[in-house]
Amino acid sequence: MDGKSIFDELKEKGVSRREFIKLSGAIAGAIGLTSFPSVEAQAGTSARFPRAYQPAQLVAKALASKPRIPVIWLEFQDCAGCSEALTRSESPTLVNLVLNMISIEYHETLSAAAGFQVEEAKRAAMEKYAGQYLLVVEGSVSPKDGGIYCSIGGRSSVDILEEAAAGAAAVIATGTCATFGGLPKAKPNPTGAVSVMGLIKDKPVINISGCPAIPEVFTGVVAHYLVFGTLPALDSLNRPTIFYGNTIHDRCLRRPFYEAGKFASSFDDEGARQGWCLYKLGCKGPTTYNACATLKWSGGLSFPVQSGHPCLGCSQPDFWDGGGFYQGQSAPLSKPAGTLGAMAAGAGVVLGVGSALANKQQKKNAKKSEPGEKGGSHELE
Amino acid sequence: MNWNDVLSFARGPLFQAALLIFIAGMLYRLVRVIGLGWSRNHVRPKKSQTKGVVMSYLKGILIWPFVPWVKNTFTKNPIIYLAGGLFHLGLFVILVLGTAHMLVWKSLLGFGWKTLPLPIVDWFAAATIVAMVVLFINRLINPVLKLLTGTAEWLNLLFVFVPMLTGYIMTHHLFFQYEVLFSIHMLSVDFLLIWIPFSRISHFVFYFFSKSIHGQEFAKHGVRA
Ligand code: HEM
Ligand code: SF4
Repeated sequence: MDGKSIFDELKEKGVSRREFIKLSGAIAGAIGLTSFPSVEAQAGTSARFPRAYQPAQLVAKALASKPRIPVIWLEFQDCAGCSEALTRSESPTLVNLVLNMISIEYHETLSAAAGFQVEEAKRAAMEKYAGQYLLVVEGSVSPKDGGIYCSIGGRSSVDILEEAAAGAAAVIATGTCATFGGLPKAKPNPTGAVSVMGLIKDKPVINISGCPAIPEVFTGVVAHYLVFGTLPALDSLNRPTIFYGNTIHDRCLRRPFYEAGKFASSFDDEGARQGWCLYKLGCKGPTTYNACATLKWSGGLSFPVQSGHPCLGCSQPDFWDGGGFYQGQSAPLSKPAGTLGAMAAGAGVVLGVGSALANKQQKKNAKKSEPGEKGGSHELE
Repeated sequence: MNWNDVLSFARGPLFQAALLIFIAGMLYRLVRVIGLGWSRNHVRPKKSQTKGVVMSYLKGILIWPFVPWVKNTFTKNPIIYLAGGLFHLGLFVILVLGTAHMLVWKSLLGFGWKTLPLPIVDWFAAATIVAMVVLFINRLINPVLKLLTGTAEWLNLLFVFVPMLTGYIMTHHLFFQYEVLFSIHMLSVDFLLIWIPFSRISHFVFYFFSKSIHGQEFAKHGVRA
């Protein structure tokens, strides 16, 4: 990096000007710059450049004027699936370009170095880029029992995260484990797992949820940060609204079948073959916010619902505890266990019998004091 | 607290608690009424009692609704009869033959059944909502009903109306985010489950109870051929 702009570095790698403009257009598309951005949105771009008139130009100007963004990437209770998805993305040009826009100073899985050396490199990077680097976190943090369930180099995940977050410009939590706790936080949550935003309160935390996070969403957010110098607009769960503004159901290609009430009832019935709606097979699309149905996976090839599998709701908090994956979404999350139901039924019957007996007694008393006996009818009034 | 948590709560622990209160409460009401006893008819049955019970249900469900004019309840106030009948039919269709609701039964009972296409259930839902509005207005303007209607009766209408309306709006994806409507739908259903045992809505179990008793009685009358 050292003063060199991203464009300079790309040129050194043999990227032509024509290719560069094309890629700028692709990035502009990825961050949703389909129309002319507002003046405020451009405020972050360099003043040395005149106002851009096209989204691609705007991106190109940012790339030509700015150095790469230093990134520190931490992994805690994760499966490295988000890193996998990003590095094996099927839209290599776009993701590569974005990976060229950042310089990953530390990444446990990708670093060639290991052990003390790489820890030392991280410390040096944190010092050199203090206040500038983007901190990316993959996986949930475990504060329980002094943090013994997740430690690296003898230090707990909480320690490591707090130290790294202190010098970060912003924190990006990638994947549902980092954003909402994910699988490690599923009941009974043995490690006391918490999300990044559950721990870091004094820094902007942007959540890119999903299991794994969609690579193009991650790169879109980074590109946005690079071009505008700010994080994109977020929803109530700190997710960028450009990508999480709609539910899967809102953009689902099976939606007409839902509207018509045509549902597949098993994975190989006529309905499944005809591509009908997967609601009865447990689809969580109606309450799941993510960009799968529009960006899709594998370079726009397909996404789960398209290929015949109901949406699991992986980008929503607590999706592991959100009811059976293959149980319709309207089914209750928990139903009374047999014994509990029997106890309630028993209690009702006992109370009923008790009250019936009391009624009988009252009736008897009333009969006893019926006409003939003085004052009886008076009492009844 | 976001809607996601509200929904999990309403579909999880709250639903479970509401269902238990509902079961306990309804059994309490039923056992209590049975315990009150009824005057027995000691005449020896002339026909099969089972047959009598079956006939009583068949007449009540398959015959009377289609020849309403023989009934006083219809001739005296056709609006209540028609709107009330439509409401009960709609409720049955929605709760038993709607796909989303069948899945609730399936998770509780362990088996499911074929359901009606959504657009058909949807028409019933719309008709049921209209029927409820008609019943509401009727209560407002009918002088006799006005006298009979207390807070509890208004609440009965309201507590059934809220799930009905939120369900309809939710299915059509109108006005609010789906999970917001789903949350309100579930909260109102949970509330309704808790409310029913304490209210006159619990009449539905007594309906089956009295139909059965009367059916047995029917068997005792008439001349043996
Ligand atoms: C455990 C109880 C219940 C659950 C889990 C539940 C769930 C649902 C769901 C998920 C839908 C929307 C389906 C879709 O998006 O296609 C729905 C629709 C609906 N619900 Fe419920 N519901 C319950 C009880 C009730 C009750 C007690 C009522 C009425 C008093 C009711 C009235 C409706 C109506 C009217 C609709 C719209 C049907 C349509 O327009 O087709 N629900 N319900
Ligand atoms: S498959 Fe899922 S997301 Fe698609 S229409 Fe059906 S319920 Fe909605």
